[in-house]
Parts: sequence; C-alpha cells; structure tokens
Amino acid sequence: MPLKPGAIDDDRYDRSRRVSWLDIESASRARVLMVGAGALGNEVAKNLALSGFRKITIVDMDHVVGSNLNRCLFFTEEHAIKRAYKSQVVADGMKRLSREAEPVAVTRRIEDVSPSVFDDHDIVLGCLDNIAARLHVNSHSYAAGRVYVDGGMDGLVGKVTIARPPSGSCLQCGMNRSHAKVASLRFSCTGKDVVFHEPRLAAEITTTSVISAVMVREALKVVSGKTDLLLSNAFYYDGQRNVSEVIEIPLDPSCPVHSRRS
Amino acid sequence: MRKPFNLAFCPVLAVVFLVIRIKVKNAETGAAVEMELEGENTIDEIIESAATFWSKDMGAYVLRKGKKVLRGGSSLSDAGIRAEDVLELIPDPEGG
Repeated sequence: MPLKPGAIDDDRYDRSRRVSWLDIESASRARVLMVGAGALGNEVAKNLALSGFRKITIVDMDHVVGSNLNRCLFFTEEHAIKRAYKSQVVADGMKRLSREAEPVAVTRRIEDVSPSVFDDHDIVLGCLDNIAARLHVNSHSYAAGRVYVDGGMDGLVGKVTIARPPSGSCLQCGMNRSHAKVASLRFSCTGKDVVFHEPRLAAEITTTSVISAVMVREALKVVSGKTDLLLSNAFYYDGQRNVSEVIEIPLDPSCPVHSRRS
Repeated sequence: MRKPFNLAFCPVLAVVFLVIRIKVKNAETGAAVEMELEGENTIDEIIESAATFWSKDMGAYVLRKGKKVLRGGSSLSDAGIRAEDVLELIPDPEGG
C-alpha cells in the first residue's frame, strides 16, 4: 500500500499501538462478557469501545431511572422517562462511539442466562451491584476457566478484584460472614428478590471512572497476553485520601469454588 | 483513656487462656480500638465487634493484616495473629 502523508493520523488506534505491549488486534477479536450495565457498566463499555474491543455481550435486566444520571455516560432523561433497558442503551452508546463495535444486549438477570455463556466468552467483567450476582458470576467464570475482573464501589471507595483460574483465589475466598449477611437480606423466604433491603449506596462518577479504567486495563493485559502484569488479587482505592494499593486475597481451601474442582 | 474493647476477658479464664491484645483500625476514619481476644476467637467475630463498636452501616467488611485479607472463619491462632498486631477494617464496596 503506498505511503500517504498524514495517514498516521487516520488510524484510530495509532496512539494505542504506541503502548508496546498492547495488542489491539487481539482486543478486537476477544469476546467480552460484561455483566451489569449501571454506572460501572457505562464506563467500562465506553473504555472497551475506545480500546478496540468489538465483541461484547452486555447482560442487565434493569431499566434506566433518573437517579442513574449523575454517573452514567450513555443514559439520558429520555431513557429514564421511557424506562429504557440499560443493556440496550449501553449497546447503542457503544455503537455511537465505535462503528466497529458489535455489542449484544441481553435483557435478563445473569442467573437466568445459560451458564454456557461463560464458555462462549474469553473474559468476564463484573459491573454488578450485589453480592449474590457476584458469587454467581465468580463461580461460573472460574468453572469455565475465564478470568473474572470484578469492580465494586461505595462512594469514594472502590475495588477491583481479579480471579484467575485454574489456580489462585477467587472473590468468594475473600468473603466472610458480613458478606453472607448482606447477601441474605436480598432474599425473602420464597427465594425471590425483595424490596425491603435495597441499599441506596453513595455513588459518583469520579470513583466510577477510576475503577472502570483499572478493570478495562486489566482486560487489555489479559487479551494482550500480559498476564505477568495483571493485578495479583485486588486493587483497593480510597478516593477520599487519594490512596490506592494492591491487597492479597489468599486462596481459601474450604471455598466452594475451589473444593468443587478438586 | 478508652477501656479496651473486650471479647474474651474473664478474670478467671484469663489465667488459663492467653489473652491477646490487638489493635483494630477503622480504615474510613483512622480511628483505632484495642481488643482483648483469645486465640480461638475468629476473624468474623472481630469484624462484627468492630463494626458494631463503630456503628457501621450494614455492609460487607474485611479485615486485613498488612497487605493480606484475613479469612473470616479462621481463628486468631490459625491466622497467625499475635499480641500487639494492628489489623485494619476496610469496607468491601458492593455497588456497581
């Protein structure tokens, strides 16, 4: 192909390619399962689209409400009025950011989606807002041998946890009785979701931006084959004090996710 | 000076069972509380006691020693906690 002056500025990913280890071609081929299309989901989707990921499945059963609008890039008041489905709005937004993106919206709870969905993707990104769904995604990702990158936030505090099967700890290894108590409050005796305990957690965009950026950067490392650069366990961020650190979650031999495999 | 928060103290048993005095820090406020414990006490118990002491909101918390998260069900002995150790209670953020 003949060299054209200025062609370098026509390449959408020219600046990305200047990161020596970043493999944009692998990112474009990778199949990403993104579970949750709320605040984190919006930012993660934006980062995925701009980073060159194309094949993204977005799972979320919820619809847009007005209180989402302080931190969700793709949501508008019109979406809230129409009660549009979050997964579909995020998928549409990704297409606007990148014509190459091929997002698929799945408007269901992840628990109601066939477990084969984990086998059908290369990496799983969790943008969830509750412990029960996290446990579901964690165990199925691990069983399918897929790296699971989970994000969580509360106000100015955020965390990114990575589970890397077949060895290494998972999210459940780092949970304790306080997690079980919170998870149990989400269910009634009939096993259905209840409304009496739906905590309205503090949430704002700056923490969301930090956590989503770390999540997608880790995903880029996975698809670029740079697993040696991956977070070993968990990245903890405290935006109030502007400190962050990596903390270790030791593997729990009694964790059901691991004992099931042995 | 605030009296140490006491999970294990019993004047008679203290002679028999070794009481371990540790400090637990509140990552959100920087506050700290001393606790007197036995080797049989669990990390879960410390989390619950500290969260109650600081009137924490209902939520998930983890306790860490240095860079390592401590397993909830393990006892102090199993977790290798020694007298004068400083542990930190940190929230485990649930929102997305």
